[in-house]
Amino acid sequence: MASSNKKISKRDTGKLLNEWSQEFAVFVPSRETGVATMAKWDGKDTSFLDWHRNTVIPPKANFLPAMEEMFNFQRDKEGYHIELPPQDKHKQLIFGIRPCDAKALAILDMTFSDSYQDPYYLSKRKNAVLVGVGCTKAYDSCFCTSLGISPAESTDVDLMLTDIGDEFLIEAITEAGKKLISRSRGLAEANEADETRAKASKEAAYQKVTRQLDTDNIKQRLLANLENKDYWEKIAAKCLSCGVCTFLCPTCYCFDINDELVKQQGARFRSWDSCAFPVYTEMPMENPRVEKWRRVRQRVYHKYEFYPMSFDVTACTGCGRCIRLCPVNWDITQALNNLPAKV
Amino acid sequence: MTITDISHRRKFLAQGNVYLPHIVIIEKIIDETPGVRTFHFNFKDEKLREEFSFESGQFGEYSVLGIGEAPFCISSSPTRRDHLEFALQRVGKVTNALHRLGVGAEIGFRGPYGNGVPLDLLQGKNLVFVGGGIGLAPLRSLIWNVIDNRDKYENIDIIYGARSPSDLCFKYDLDAWNKDKAVNMVTTVDKGDENWTGKVGFVPQVLEQAAPSAQNAVAIVCGPPIMIRFTFPVLEKLGFTPEQMITTLEKRMKCGIGKCGRCNIGNLYVCRDGPVFSYAQIKGFISKEY
Ligand code: SF4
Ligand code: SF4
Ligand code: FES
Repeated sequence: MASSNKKISKRDTGKLLNEWSQEFAVFVPSRETGVATMAKWDGKDTSFLDWHRNTVIPPKANFLPAMEEMFNFQRDKEGYHIELPPQDKHKQLIFGIRPCDAKALAILDMTFSDSYQDPYYLSKRKNAVLVGVGCTKAYDSCFCTSLGISPAESTDVDLMLTDIGDEFLIEAITEAGKKLISRSRGLAEANEADETRAKASKEAAYQKVTRQLDTDNIKQRLLANLENKDYWEKIAAKCLSCGVCTFLCPTCYCFDINDELVKQQGARFRSWDSCAFPVYTEMPMENPRVEKWRRVRQRVYHKYEFYPMSFDVTACTGCGRCIRLCPVNWDITQALNNLPAKV
Repeated sequence: MTITDISHRRKFLAQGNVYLPHIVIIEKIIDETPGVRTFHFNFKDEKLREEFSFESGQFGEYSVLGIGEAPFCISSSPTRRDHLEFALQRVGKVTNALHRLGVGAEIGFRGPYGNGVPLDLLQGKNLVFVGGGIGLAPLRSLIWNVIDNRDKYENIDIIYGARSPSDLCFKYDLDAWNKDKAVNMVTTVDKGDENWTGKVGFVPQVLEQAAPSAQNAVAIVCGPPIMIRFTFPVLEKLGFTPEQMITTLEKRMKCGIGKCGRCNIGNLYVCRDGPVFSYAQIKGFISKEY
């Protein structure tokens, strides 16, 4: 019996991506720049099909680039003229996004569409198609399952691919996903055996995530420890305030705005910023977060206390980057799991 | 007079790219103190000049293009709309650049942002304004707003102080309010000089001596963080509940619209959820982050 899902052999996936390249700017996991990121596909290399886990730079960078021109301006005798930079009209198709990072985009959507629409983020996001690929291995730092995310399942993508050996099972998650497969060539109907293999593959992936975060009453436990300076000082001691954890976190969105000026021409840019830096909150007369423990506390609370208060969702997907890429192995799961029960 | 409702404000702002500044022209500059200047400005675009509306307590992002952007409250009253005003102290890169500008200069402006003072909740109340230094900027917008609608409010007490006589801002307003029989005005300085004949003492102490009644009253407090911190306990002593105290907070800001992240107090963004807060709202956080 045929299922409603499709499949494609790994060998033919390059062809499929080529076909999609006619319509989209296709981005795939790539190490071309030296760091694993979602980069424009070169039309040939498909080595990323053997990758098991998420990239170093999260796909948020495709929507909130590390640095982005907001507008440019010129001055002449009539005054200032402000202009938007030319927009890339090509829709992005992100192939190989992992469930944790797709969820992170759903989380970022909330901030960027709340109260005031953020045109830079939303214009890129609105046009994008996400093709998820389930993880087949986990890092020791991954803990997505503690946050209700499965490493091989997602509802935050348009299409979801599951590794079933020499092939991928393809599930359409959204209407856009359904339409995309209906106009894609070279897809075969998946059968019951494929579904069984996919189920086993997903379960195996789930078992690979071993790190646990204790989320029981986590909001209450955090609230009880808000003033526990001793604990946060102890926890923060080894942090270098380098900001890596925030830059590479798929749900961190803080940015700075700066101007550049050469002669009478200039531009305004925004760039990633971090609550790890003292200057982030510095005012002429005072700074509410000069002390490191306050900054470390802010990062943890923002994700696990404040974001849930505003949007009813934890702003952490357990992607593990902030643990594995931190130069001193600062560990958010440890910080949360060891919260004193009684203060 | 207009009290713009929140949905109207958001509709106004939702048009187009919210980060693009409008060009405004500086029409007049007033030296308030050695480091503080007031700028009168107007939109270059005729239509915006007509359409723009705001509430006391709201702020804007002002930019010297090529140097950068900084947030300041609109210090003029929505009841006096032939121009807009903001006042700023020379403290950093952007404020220095603004201070170098002259009449006729073009700057960028986007806004109004933030919630503004809930005027409807102040009607029929005794109002106690407590201000320090340049903290009078947001207050004076509200004070003129209230004076221009005098019959909607009961008693008006103003307690305003600065470090020294030369640090008193908006002296023309202080004079006007001093002369106004319908306003009780107390001015104080931390340290007087040879010409100073008025009160000497810190704002919270002078407030305690003045002892305005908490009966049917709301206190609106604006000033340096240290003054705000010492003023709340005095008001509590005078019988004001946290729900009867309002303040505007200051944080480092960039986006002004709840996106860039830096201006938070707990889950509240000062730019998006403030800058006007009741003490009840922020009491729990004030000792920690503020
Ligand atoms: S990556 Fe590690 S050292 Fe750097 S700011 Fe984050 S926790 Fe601190
Ligand atoms: S806080 Fe750490 S684990 Fe959570 S989403 Fe950010 S980088 Fe990933
Ligand atoms: S100024 Fe950007 S979030 Fe408040």
